[in-house]
Amino acid sequence: MRVERLAGRMGLLDRRVLLVTGKGGVGKTTVATSLAVEAASRGKRVLLAETQGATRVSELFGRRSAGYEVQPLGPDLYTLSITGEAAIEDYVVAQVKVRAIYKMVFRNRVMAPFMDGVPGLHDLVQLGKVMDLEREKSFGRPVWDLIVVDAPATGHGLTMLDGPSAMMDLTVAGPFHEGAKQIQQLFSDPERTGIVLVSLPEDMPVNETLELHERLGSYRDQVQACVLNEIREPPFADLSAWEAARPHLADLGEAVELTDRAVARARAQDQARGRLAALGCPLLELPLLDSRRLRAPQLEKLGRRLA
Amino acid sequence: MTQIVICCGSGGVGKTTTSAALALAYARAGQRVAVLTIDPARRLADSLGVGPLGNEAQRVPLDDGQLDAMMLDMKATWDRLVERFAPSEAERDRILQNRYYRFASTRLAGSHEYMAMERLLELVESGDYDIVVLDTPPSRHAVEFLKAPGRIAGLFDEGVMTWLALPKNSRGFRALERGSEVVTGVLKRLIGQGTIGEIAEFFDAMQGLWDALSERGRAVDELLRSEATRFILVTTPAPAARAEAREFRKLLEDNGMPLAGFIVNRVSPRPSTTEVGPFPACPAGFDAEAWERICEGVAAAPASASRLAESEQPALDELSALGVELWPVPDLGGDVHDLDALSAIAAHLGAVVQPEATS
Repeated sequence: MRVERLAGRMGLLDRRVLLVTGKGGVGKTTVATSLAVEAASRGKRVLLAETQGATRVSELFGRRSAGYEVQPLGPDLYTLSITGEAAIEDYVVAQVKVRAIYKMVFRNRVMAPFMDGVPGLHDLVQLGKVMDLEREKSFGRPVWDLIVVDAPATGHGLTMLDGPSAMMDLTVAGPFHEGAKQIQQLFSDPERTGIVLVSLPEDMPVNETLELHERLGSYRDQVQACVLNEIREPPFADLSAWEAARPHLADLGEAVELTDRAVARARAQDQARGRLAALGCPLLELPLLDSRRLRAPQLEKLGRRLA
Repeated sequence: MTQIVICCGSGGVGKTTTSAALALAYARAGQRVAVLTIDPARRLADSLGVGPLGNEAQRVPLDDGQLDAMMLDMKATWDRLVERFAPSEAERDRILQNRYYRFASTRLAGSHEYMAMERLLELVESGDYDIVVLDTPPSRHAVEFLKAPGRIAGLFDEGVMTWLALPKNSRGFRALERGSEVVTGVLKRLIGQGTIGEIAEFFDAMQGLWDALSERGRAVDELLRSEATRFILVTTPAPAARAEAREFRKLLEDNGMPLAGFIVNRVSPRPSTTEVGPFPACPAGFDAEAWERICEGVAAAPASASRLAESEQPALDELSALGVELWPVPDLGGDVHDLDALSAIAAHLGAVVQPEATS
């Protein structure tokens, strides 16, 4: 098993790029941020990249987002919000060399919707931006030790990883084809790029995680960990005793019904753990937190749990 | 006239389940209902008690009411659009066999949303339904659903046509060269001459459908702004809910589209009291220590449920401060596997189905 060999040699935070993905609403941003905070606290210079123009990270730190510009969040921790539009501009300008030509040729009323409609281009260029950042150097060493990418939700996340090959299929040859190939090389290199899946301890999200893992295809070996988020304390350790105990407590009404649900949830959690073990990667757990209070110190705590 | 209910919301809020439950509630209220979902998961089909869902309507076996369910098939809907409106068989085949068309009909960003609108129009035109409930593709922001069709329609805008594929009788590639030498020069270098030829060929071929496409675009637009349509935002009591809800309300206002209200899913029920007891003594056959642990667990359950409800209150307050109808659906625990579970949710949506009766 190639993965296990690699995992034995490298920690979760030792790659250049970590892509965090999962079903919508499972806590991808929380997990991505926690990982970035932890890596930074270990002295790595970390960039946390949001995709599709999301700006939730700066909100978590109580700041106004600087968008596509890299913005500091703390010592060794930086963020930016990548948008398809800005990344297309970067990408095309890198090819045509002159920004004025890009603006004139591609951003006019007629061509702009056409450029936005080139299949896979939005996805490809966002990964391309990450690649550029990964390659950025200062005094001969990389500017970023680790780039954590808060990737889009499951379906779109896959489309995004599919972006380079979609572009390669579409173009057959030329600079876009070459560019796509280089992007593909970075993201499919298990030494440089790792994938973290995020899930919830319920049936549906677990189904989707297993399905996502399956559909990752050649990227599957790069899954470094699966994070099970929003884990709750079981009401008591021995769940199997509940059915026998319940009739004796029937007079307690609402409290018993609430316990029924807590027991059901705890069992679903155990089941989720069991099913996700089939992924063959480390399963990490995060407790359910009051999201009103989800701020930097909480994220640090979560990060320590993860790493 | 067919009424339309469009459920928007970001990923993971339970939009598909809510759409199905809402459709069920309408069907039970005596309407002929269709629900068009996006969720590729089998779960919804299972919970409705029907086989795998596809583009065509499947009747849900109900004792009371008429409900059809279907799942959007992007490629099939595109193909049907082309088959229906291509001016000739030769034009039709030219489009269907174009390589860029095959990309566009399945992978083009926004294509999903565009075809959802097209399928919606088909269902309305059929005259078979009193109500069509539309589940929308998951997106980070609910509003993307409303913007995407415009982006795709923009692709077929006369401007692009003019630029890329002007004279109708010319081959796309030659026409492209007449459009703009700078543009084509750069594009050719970037994505290759062959690809540009195919793309131009595609737009050239699509020109025959242009009138039909813009006609349908206008029809959808009118429909969405008409009295017949209600938009609903499906959300959860999370801190990000307010920002999204405000953005959604503003976008609808700006576009003159009617916002019906917010369905707030998975609201943690608040226990009536946190006092629990008295606890009976340890029954015979139970280990005293184990009994103690269980009683502690039961005693703590209401307080812990109450804390959870408390943590959601600010989000709920913020949503209700927006002055839009709010329909909370309690967290009923567990996944929705069958019609009974779906019915339990539907039971909480009565006020959505008959707003005049409650407001």
